[in-house]
Amino acid sequence: MTTLNVDSRGTACPGPITDLIRAYKKAQNGDLIVLVANDPGAVPDSKAWCERTRNEFVGSKEIENSFEITIRVTGKKA
Amino acid sequence: MKNIAIIGSGAGGLITSSKLSKDLSKEIKNGEVTITLFDKKREQEFQPGYLEVAFRGTDPSKIRRPVKKLVSPGVKMVYDNVEKVDLANRYVKTEGSSEKINFDYVIISTGSSPDYDQIDGLKQANMDFHTDAYNASLIYNRISSIKSGKIVVGIGGLPYKCPPSPNESAFMLHEHFRKKGIRDDVEIIYVTPFTRIYSAESINEVIEPMYERRDIESITAFNTDTVDAEKKEITSLEGETLKYDYLFLTPPHKPAGFLKGSDMSDEDGWVKVDKKDLHITTYDNGFAIGDTTNIPISKAGVEAHLEGIVVANNIVGEITGTGQKYKFTGRTQCSMETGFHKATFVVGTYDRPVEKIEPSTMNYMEKKVMEKIYWGSLHGHYEWLFKYHFKKDYFEE
Repeated sequence: MTTLNVDSRGTACPGPITDLIRAYKKAQNGDLIVLVANDPGAVPDSKAWCERTRNEFVGSKEIENSFEITIRVTGKKA
Repeated sequence: MKNIAIIGSGAGGLITSSKLSKDLSKEIKNGEVTITLFDKKREQEFQPGYLEVAFRGTDPSKIRRPVKKLVSPGVKMVYDNVEKVDLANRYVKTEGSSEKINFDYVIISTGSSPDYDQIDGLKQANMDFHTDAYNASLIYNRISSIKSGKIVVGIGGLPYKCPPSPNESAFMLHEHFRKKGIRDDVEIIYVTPFTRIYSAESINEVIEPMYERRDIESITAFNTDTVDAEKKEITSLEGETLKYDYLFLTPPHKPAGFLKGSDMSDEDGWVKVDKKDLHITTYDNGFAIGDTTNIPISKAGVEAHLEGIVVANNIVGEITGTGQKYKFTGRTQCSMETGFHKATFVVGTYDRPVEKIEPSTMNYMEKKVMEKIYWGSLHGHYEWLFKYHFKKDYFEE
């Protein structure tokens, strides 16, 4: 299992979700993607994206004016 | 003597070189400054015109011009591609040459191009309107013969050039088949890896109802993984499949090859720059503009234009000693044609989210005016107009 750290601070929609999708393309099932963004829209967008792609939205927390969003990759075909 | 090297003769490279040559004309005349523009291409194309070629049958020659007519006086054109930029030692090398060409300032504006290697099978199955005008013209030949069937358009991968263009292709196909009176026989499906039809919510609110009214099906959160040209089937990363008869996907894009693996680039080859003054991270004499950068905004000509003005201004400030320092605001101004002579614009900055702008004929006319003045704008002829139009977003002081 690998953790992919994605820093999207300073970018607004669709920056964070674009970065998330690009990281997802390189990830494998079981990997974690940790997305850090200061766009508040990144949290609901990531949640909606996880629901649609059957990946797991592990959670989000606020750290120093940013949101740290953790996603477990589970949706990729075997 | 100050030598300025500009790599890439697309919109960004040409506008930057024309601004520099105008503002430093005295220094160039006195032999104190040289400006050299590097690019192998002998012709340039008006890239937003690819949609008109692909979906309205515009002759590709109408959107092409020889580079020699686009280069401003005072700029030396070298018809070679650069294959190495050494920022620490301040020189570039062109392809196949061992000669070190020294610079004091370098501006990388090498753009982006479709990267078919990212998606297995896409090259064999797809026709796109992002590669060049000739390839775009093949789409028009194809759609002219379509009587019925299922067309899949949309975003094949990220990042890609001109964010509204996949949506525009759906709208223009709808218009094409509606005018031919066979729209009911042609299914149009739009796919996107985003969770909305347009990634920015404000624009999505505008176009989503149009998709519904025009019976354009949308499939969101669809991450194209592979394409089987024989079965005519797309498979997503999640294992969903989608059948098509005709495929016009926008492929993911890549930067110029020499940038990948360079210490100035990220892992995909996009050059890491400061998003406001565009200098390449850790180097104060190197800049990158336009699609070339890793800035998370639209890959579009308007960005290359406004970033080029900022960089040129700042270099002029250093050379002439005025110390003028401008910053890029992150302004976007991407037109989205919605068909039937209407358009909206995707307008935002680093500090302002994308505005909600309803499609109108006035917006469409503005888009058409931009097309008319494009070639002259590369020479800087309409900078007064851009400055007036963008107001405080033109640059930050």
